[in-house]
Amino acid sequence: MKKGIFLKILVMFLAVAFLAGFSTVAVAKKIKVGGLMDTTGATSDVGKDYAIGMADAFKYINSQGGVNGKKIKYIWFDYGYRIPEAITKYKMLKRLGNIAIMGWGTGDTEALSPTVNKDKLPYVSASYSAHLTDPKKTPYNLFFSSDYSTNARSAITAWFDKKWPKHKDFGKRKPRFACCYMFASPYGSAPIKAIKDQAKLLGFEIGPDQDVSLFAIDTKSQVMALKKFKPDVVWHGNTTMSVAATVRDAYALGLGADWIINNWGFDENLPRLAGKAAEGVMGATPCAFFGQNYKNMDLVVSSAEQYSPGVPKGKRLIRTVQAWGDALVLWEAMKRADKKGVDLTKKGCGPGIMKEGFETMRNFDIGLGAAPISYTATDHRPATGCLIQEWKGGKFQTVEAVDLKKRWPKLWATKWLGW
Amino acid sequence: MKKKLVLMTVLIFGLSVALISCVTMQVKPTEKNFIAPKVTLESFMVPQYDGYWYFSSKVKPTKGDAGNRGAALPMSFLFNVENKNPYPILLDGMVFTVVFDKEFSLVTYNNQDEYWIPAGKTDQVRATTLITARSALLSLMVTGGFKLKAKGWSPWKALETWWKGVPEGITPVDITECSFSFSANGVSRVFPYEIKAQ
Repeated sequence: MKKGIFLKILVMFLAVAFLAGFSTVAVAKKIKVGGLMDTTGATSDVGKDYAIGMADAFKYINSQGGVNGKKIKYIWFDYGYRIPEAITKYKMLKRLGNIAIMGWGTGDTEALSPTVNKDKLPYVSASYSAHLTDPKKTPYNLFFSSDYSTNARSAITAWFDKKWPKHKDFGKRKPRFACCYMFASPYGSAPIKAIKDQAKLLGFEIGPDQDVSLFAIDTKSQVMALKKFKPDVVWHGNTTMSVAATVRDAYALGLGADWIINNWGFDENLPRLAGKAAEGVMGATPCAFFGQNYKNMDLVVSSAEQYSPGVPKGKRLIRTVQAWGDALVLWEAMKRADKKGVDLTKKGCGPGIMKEGFETMRNFDIGLGAAPISYTATDHRPATGCLIQEWKGGKFQTVEAVDLKKRWPKLWATKWLGW
Repeated sequence: MKKKLVLMTVLIFGLSVALISCVTMQVKPTEKNFIAPKVTLESFMVPQYDGYWYFSSKVKPTKGDAGNRGAALPMSFLFNVENKNPYPILLDGMVFTVVFDKEFSLVTYNNQDEYWIPAGKTDQVRATTLITARSALLSLMVTGGFKLKAKGWSPWKALETWWKGVPEGITPVDITECSFSFSANGVSRVFPYEIKAQ
C-alpha cells in the first residue's frame, strides 16, 4: 500500500518535471527567417524603409502568435546592394538554419536564383523581375506584387487608354515612346523587352533608350537627347532619386512628355524631391501608399508607430507596405504548410512550404490595395495586372486598374510568362 | 526507510512549488508598468583607422582583383542601458541610423542579439558598424544627392571631410531614427531614442 503511494507521488513528480522541461524546449523552438536588405547601397533611398517595414511586419506576426503558435526569429543584414556580399550573406543565413529568405534587389536575386533553387529555400524578394516568375526555371523565387513587366505593360496601356485620346495629335499619328533606365542595372533593364513589346502591340513608335544612372542628379544630356525624338510618353525604370532628377530636368528643359514610372521610382518622396515637375507623373502601384485607406493598412500604420517609434510617421513610405506584402504571403504560406504537418523548424522544409503553402493560394487577399494573389506549380506571377496612379493636385489618384490577363488572355497564358 | 523516502519526495515537491510561487509572486511585467529603460551613450570611437583613400576599378591593384573600393571607417558605440523595472528585461533588438553633419544618413545599423538586464541594473551594449568610402558614396548619392547639390558640395569633398573629421572628433555624428526593443514575460515594448555621439 505504502509502496503504491510512493510510486504514485514519484510518477506525478517526474511527470511534472518532464512536462516542465519539455515545454521549455518546445517554447524555444522558433522558425528562422533571414533577410537581405539594402540600407546603405545604391537603392537605399527605397531600401531602408522596406527593411524597417519588414522588421515591423515580423514583430506584428509574432504578436499574433507567429505561425500557428510558433514564433518567428527574423534576422536581417544590410548587404549594401553588393552582389558578392549578398551571396556571402545568403550562405551564412542558410548555415544558420533559416528556412526562408526575404531578399531585395534584382541583380542579387537573379544571381542567387540557381543556388536558391538547388537549396530548395523559398526566397521572397523585393525584386519583382518577371524572370523570377516561371517555376520551370525559378521554382523557389516568389513575391507578392505584380512583376515589373506586368507593371510596365500596365503603365503604358493605362497611358494609351486614358491620356493619348486627349492628346491633340490623337488619330493623326502614332504615339511616340522612349525609355530611361540605368542600362547596367538588372532592375532597370528587366522589363524593357516587355514594355517595348507592349508598345508595338499598341502601335507606338519607339525611340532610343537613355542611360540614366541610379545616382544621377543631373540628367540634362539625356533629356536633350530625348528632345530630338519628341516622345509623348517616357518610361523611367530607376528608383526615386534619379527619377526625380530626370523629371525635374525634363520639366526645366520643356521636354513636354508624360512620365510612366516603375514602382520603385514612384513613392511619397517623388513629389517632395521633384516638386511641381511631379504633377501628372504616373506610376505602377502594386499596393497602396502608406496610410491610404485600404484593408489591413491600420495594422501597417499602428505597427510602424509601435515597433519603429524612432522613425517619424511622415517619413514612412509605400516601401513599408510592400515589405508587409511579402511578409504576409510568406506568413500565409507557412501557416498553410504548418497545418499540413510541414515542420518549419527544421531545415529542408522548403518543398513543403511551396507545395502545401504558396502553391495552394488562389486569389488570396492580403488587403493593402494589392491585387488578389495566386501561385500555381506552373505560374508564379502573383497578379494579372497593376493599378496605375498619378500624382495630381497634391495627392495620388487612380488612373486605371489594368488587368492584362482579361485583356489579352491568350498572350498572358502562352507568351508572357517569365520575361 | 520507505516512509522517509515518501516524506522527502513530498518535501522536495512542496519546496519546488513554494519556490515557483515565490518567483511568480514578484511584480509581473505588464504593458502599463513597463518603464522605458534609460539608454545613454557611454562612448563613441573609431576602433581602427586607415586614412582616406579610394581606388576606382580602373586601377590595377598590386594583389587581388580590381574594383571600386574605398577606405573603411568602423564606428563603435557603447550604450548604457539602465533597467528601471523591478524585473529583468530582455534587450532583443536595436536599430538606428548614423548621421554625419546633422543631415547626411550614412548607415542604418540593426542588431537582434539578446541581452538580459537584471532588475534595477545598468548593462552595457556595444554596437559596431563599418562603412567604406565606396558604400558611403553610393548611399550618399541616392539619399543625399540633392542636399549636397544645394550646399554646393561634391560627394568626394564630403567623404574626405568626414573620413578625416570623424576620427578627429570634428564632424558631428548623431544617432537618429533609433529604437531599442525589450521584452519581459511576453510583454514587448519598443522605445525611441535620439543620441548625439559627438
